[in-house]
Amino acid sequence: MKAAGLIFSDSYDVALNEMTKARTLAALPIGGRYRVIDFTLSNMANAGIDNVGVVTTRNYHELMYHIRGGTVWDLDKKRSALTFLPPYAADNQSDMYHTRLEALQTHRRWISRLTEKYIVIVSCTYIGNIDFDKMIRFHEASGARITALYTKNPMFKSGGQRLAKFTIGVNNTLTNVDIVYELQEGDAFGVNCYVMEVADLLKLLDETKREGKNNLVLDVLQPLAQAGEAVAYEAKETMLFMDTPSDYLKSSLKMLDRETLDELYENPARPIITRARDSAPTRYGETAVVENCLIADGVRIEGTVRNSIIFRDVVVKKGAVIENSVVMHDAVVGEGAHLSYSILDSRVVVNDGRFLGGYITHPFYLEEGTVI
Amino acid sequence: MSSKKKCIAMLLAGGQGSRLSPLTKKVAKPAVQFGSRYRIIDFSLSNCVNSNIDTVGVLTQYQPLELNDYLGTGEPWGLNLRFGGLHVLPPYQAETGADWFKGTANAIYQNLAFIERYDPEHVLILSGDHIYKMDYSIMLDEHIANDADLTVAVIDVDISEASRFGIMNTDDKGRILEFEEKPAHPKSTTASMGVYIFKTSALKEYLIRDEADPESKNDFGKNIIPAMLADNRRVFAYLFAGYWRDVGTIGSYWQTNMDITGDNPEFVLNDPSWRIYYRHIHNRPTYFGTTGKVHRSICGASNSIYGTVEDSIVNDNVLIEEGAVVKDSIILSDCIIRKGAKIQYAILDAKVEIPAGCKIGGDKDKYEITVISNEDKLSAGQTVKAAAKK
Repeated sequence: MKAAGLIFSDSYDVALNEMTKARTLAALPIGGRYRVIDFTLSNMANAGIDNVGVVTTRNYHELMYHIRGGTVWDLDKKRSALTFLPPYAADNQSDMYHTRLEALQTHRRWISRLTEKYIVIVSCTYIGNIDFDKMIRFHEASGARITALYTKNPMFKSGGQRLAKFTIGVNNTLTNVDIVYELQEGDAFGVNCYVMEVADLLKLLDETKREGKNNLVLDVLQPLAQAGEAVAYEAKETMLFMDTPSDYLKSSLKMLDRETLDELYENPARPIITRARDSAPTRYGETAVVENCLIADGVRIEGTVRNSIIFRDVVVKKGAVIENSVVMHDAVVGEGAHLSYSILDSRVVVNDGRFLGGYITHPFYLEEGTVI
Repeated sequence: MSSKKKCIAMLLAGGQGSRLSPLTKKVAKPAVQFGSRYRIIDFSLSNCVNSNIDTVGVLTQYQPLELNDYLGTGEPWGLNLRFGGLHVLPPYQAETGADWFKGTANAIYQNLAFIERYDPEHVLILSGDHIYKMDYSIMLDEHIANDADLTVAVIDVDISEASRFGIMNTDDKGRILEFEEKPAHPKSTTASMGVYIFKTSALKEYLIRDEADPESKNDFGKNIIPAMLADNRRVFAYLFAGYWRDVGTIGSYWQTNMDITGDNPEFVLNDPSWRIYYRHIHNRPTYFGTTGKVHRSICGASNSIYGTVEDSIVNDNVLIEEGAVVKDSIILSDCIIRKGAKIQYAILDAKVEIPAGCKIGGDKDKYEITVISNEDKLSAGQTVKAAAKK
């Protein structure tokens, strides 16, 4: 029951603005020391998936730098590998792909060389500790051609974007997919995560390509659903989304909730792995105050941090107060500076005495390297 | 790629470290945790890599399981190379018999074949139990400029401590005239750090000669260096001015850990130009609850802190419950400190659980340090009194 994995790493249907200007959503730092894709890569590695393709389109430098060969997830093995799948990599494709289905059609060659029976396809747009092994076994037992993952509780998923709402019949049969723009409580929301047989996927790719079709949900999932050949698999795990800066802040702060924290990180069989940075341990000074926060390595804290996430190698100087905020790696918060509902990207410098603040619905965001 | 190295390192990591017991009961001294994220050996290994020495033989003997696991293929230090890199060198069985390493010199002697494989001009000999940041390449340059057969790294120590060390007397050019191992009446304060660079030819010559002497203790300090001085070989001292500590005793281990804490620590670890690399355990950042308090301390990753931590080192994956107080202490990985427990001037070995309401240790000015091993079984509310200061 061996499965390969394929990850869409582009920022589909999100409005993160400057946060994803120089990187894709998959490479967005989150949770003090992680990138969004760490969760998907770890979920795959923990399910025994060790042949993984990462589909990229643009802005993938930071992602490649982060993942490298996938060694830290044990994905760089003699007989399997992590493979980046950038555009123009296929001999028959002269045009840039724009949709997930076009990307799959382009990377047909990589898929056709897989020796695994199944493939798990994931759109890297959420974080969670998802048991893919269970989902693959569910698919195998169902006899369906496709299994689509859904959640009834997409945390901090804002509307406004195209959302796939599932109608589910008896025996978990997926009967219909609607594209909607708002979700109601209890709706089954499809997250673009599928299990299929590799051979069947290749067949569907050839058919859709011949017919000029380009939409994975409408041209692949929906016809299979209507033909009674699709099933829906409910992820009971917490899934946190970050389509807007406000959702990003809410999802980040949700990790301060002990249950969420334990579910994400304290499962010994399913660790979340990220690339090491060899930061020195964090030093707390004479005047440090830390309450309800997550603090990574290499940090120096002499100020006050409440309800916040502090990434690696951040400096919080004396008298600084950080509340309800996310401070990414290598940022410096000067003496007496105050941050509230703010997101500081990497290497931001907030000089002494600055007062910065937003609101939970409109966090104040500073781009990478800004000096203020 | 060349088939030769200019200088390789041999790292002595086989000592039992009995004076660090019980921390070394099941773990070799170089693998003992230090400074919350590190093992003691990380400092020597990182110094090698930062000094452009990419071939390191690690000589192991005592309790090697955890040390070997920790070293692995050398990947955390960038020492997983095709030619060179990190090699663990345990004692082995040969055609003519099987020998444990009899002394520091004998350990190197038994691994001359490893050295020959890289055909280096110089060999750096290191100990796996020192905490320091040192650029060996500067020492190597001086060693080469002096055309030395042996260069011994030395540090200036307080005269009151000098009799604990090997003491060198040098001329004004740094050439060593006399060497005394732990002298009762030291003539100088220039102490050997146990860091040597040998010209490979001289090293081989003296190791072979030392091995042939059945009376020898097969020790660099006691035998090899005196023999070279007696022959008037070119033996030089290299004065190292930075922070250096031997963490061979519980007292020095505690103090050295404390030297990295505070707003202006005596030993700065957060140095981007001289990173100390370590094997990661891949866990989440540390979580502080709303009742958590921490001052003048170092905390690693994946801890959950609801209690108070002051002037202490907390390693990884430690739970400190509400109302618990940790002061002047070192808490190694995977410890649990239950509600209301008080820990003062103590070291908790890895995987120790302190039940609720326990009182461990005492004021550091009045009492000796208290060490709790993971074989000690404590019950709720129990008091472990510290011994009065000698």
